[in-house]
Amino acid sequence: MKAVVLVKQVPNTDSPFRINGAGTWVDEGNLTYSLNDYDRYALEEVLRLKDAGRVAEVVVLTAGPERAASALRTCLATGADRALHIKDDALAGADPLSVARAVAAAVKDGEFSLILAGLQADDDNYMQIGPFVARLLDRPCATAVTRLESKDGATVRVERELENNRLQIVDLMLPAVITVQTGINEPRYPSLKGIMAAKKKEIRTLTLADLGIDPASVAASAARFRTVRLAPPPKGKGAEILSGPADQIARELVKRIREKTGVI
Amino acid sequence: MACKILILAEHEGGSIRDTTFELLGLAHRLAGEAAWSAAEIKALVIGQGVAGLAGAVAARGAAEVICAEADAVKDYTSDGYARVIESVVRTETPEILLIGHTPNGWDCAPLVAAGLGVPIATECSGIALERGRPLFTRKAFNGKFIQVLDLGDARPKVATVQKGAAPAFATATIGTVRSVPAGVDAGQLRATFAGVRAGQAGAVDLTQASIIVSGGRGLGAAEKFAIIRELAAALGGQVGASRPVTDMGWLPHEHQVGSSGVTVNPKLYIACGISGAIQHIVGMKGSGYIVAINKDPDAPIFGVADVGVVGDLFEIVPALTGAVKEAKGRS
Repeated sequence: MKAVVLVKQVPNTDSPFRINGAGTWVDEGNLTYSLNDYDRYALEEVLRLKDAGRVAEVVVLTAGPERAASALRTCLATGADRALHIKDDALAGADPLSVARAVAAAVKDGEFSLILAGLQADDDNYMQIGPFVARLLDRPCATAVTRLESKDGATVRVERELENNRLQIVDLMLPAVITVQTGINEPRYPSLKGIMAAKKKEIRTLTLADLGIDPASVAASAARFRTVRLAPPPKGKGAEILSGPADQIARELVKRIREKTGVI
Repeated sequence: MACKILILAEHEGGSIRDTTFELLGLAHRLAGEAAWSAAEIKALVIGQGVAGLAGAVAARGAAEVICAEADAVKDYTSDGYARVIESVVRTETPEILLIGHTPNGWDCAPLVAAGLGVPIATECSGIALERGRPLFTRKAFNGKFIQVLDLGDARPKVATVQKGAAPAFATATIGTVRSVPAGVDAGQLRATFAGVRAGQAGAVDLTQASIIVSGGRGLGAAEKFAIIRELAAALGGQVGASRPVTDMGWLPHEHQVGSSGVTVNPKLYIACGISGAIQHIVGMKGSGYIVAINKDPDAPIFGVADVGVVGDLFEIVPALTGAVKEAKGRS
């Protein structure tokens, strides 16, 4: 069977984040990008199934601007067989539902038994694309998966993370969509050989027209998902910030801890 | 009566989850702001043999509780729940659909939204009317920023709502319960419940600790955790961690504090090299006194800490260990 992993290129968490002039998103000019961390775990999970002979082909797919191709290269260097890149100017500022419609259109004829994605993207933290694609394709879905067991060609058994250290066990009929939680495995890194091999692997670019999607529908959908403000969190009570040499700070901390908690 | 706000009443182990009453609290506040009648707030309970639970929701905030029962939805599956919710929403046509941002809530809510062809605002910390429009407030970029979303003319406007986003509704009400067939049978479902099990149990129980020193990604490597252990030992406390640390195998899962780990409430919590993603903060914000040490002055952890140090934890933590030992030696 074939598997596709939905990935996203996201800003590095240590990038210098600034809010844009309109106050509606971050200024992307200053940012550096890499493959979303959650997606590394999703890719690793299907690469393991391929290593075990359960999956014949691993495809990676992203929707994003030109720069997102480097996230696909990372996946190809790590072991994915080929890549699909949905790239269309009309998708800049698109809402998650429009992105999911494009993704669903791109994978629907691909005979993918498994569609994996990270639980969420490290930038918007929406947690939507995986389940959206599942519903648009009318396939079952499980999120926050911490264990995936390929039982036979027809079903998979997954464990979903609940609260208080409990897990729900669910059997999903294939084809199915699964979003994985970090920690499900230990993702491998691209090898030098993998990086060389990736140069020969195909990245196929798809536009909205290729997918039969009207760009006007994206604009209409985006009007129902508009960020009116992005702002730093309110400081609340905020912490009293200590400064000075480490030894002095340490003595100040001990004094406060003693006064406030009595544990020293 | 028409329905303006529909909430999913989640239940677990035979009782209604607290988040359900928080959703009802939020629904009543929104209805007040929008000048909607409280009679237009409805709840949906899904399950088998849950009429009693539906009654509990009708007695505390819902004017009408729709009780959708079938064997196929006795246990939660995203497939079963999403089908029922979608069909009830199509009949009730609420303006707003609220679902708790719980592991089951975030699992099924986007399926419902996509089925209805509407957007969803996930993990909301608040919803309020601004110039007559509901705006949905949530965290983005792992808590670095607050995002306010306008869902335009979508109907319904779907949101998953974080725990603690509103005070629980606490007034007794006399709502009605209406039973409807859930309209799903097991043969239709492609997801089958196969049980719930406890995760790996560990030797450490942080829930009972009165002092916790936690380390995060900022430590950089497993062996660097020594300075955290030394500080914890000097204080007579336990060692905690944020999710990346246990994901990378630096420490076993039982040390993880946060929504997918344990919720703790020690007298003293020291967070070292932890930026303070919401998933971590929900697990430790109930601590008595919170100290944060982080190199990033904008780290969200400083928003919940009582006292903070912006600096290199490899200098501050050993200095603190030394000062603690000195103070204990003197007393």
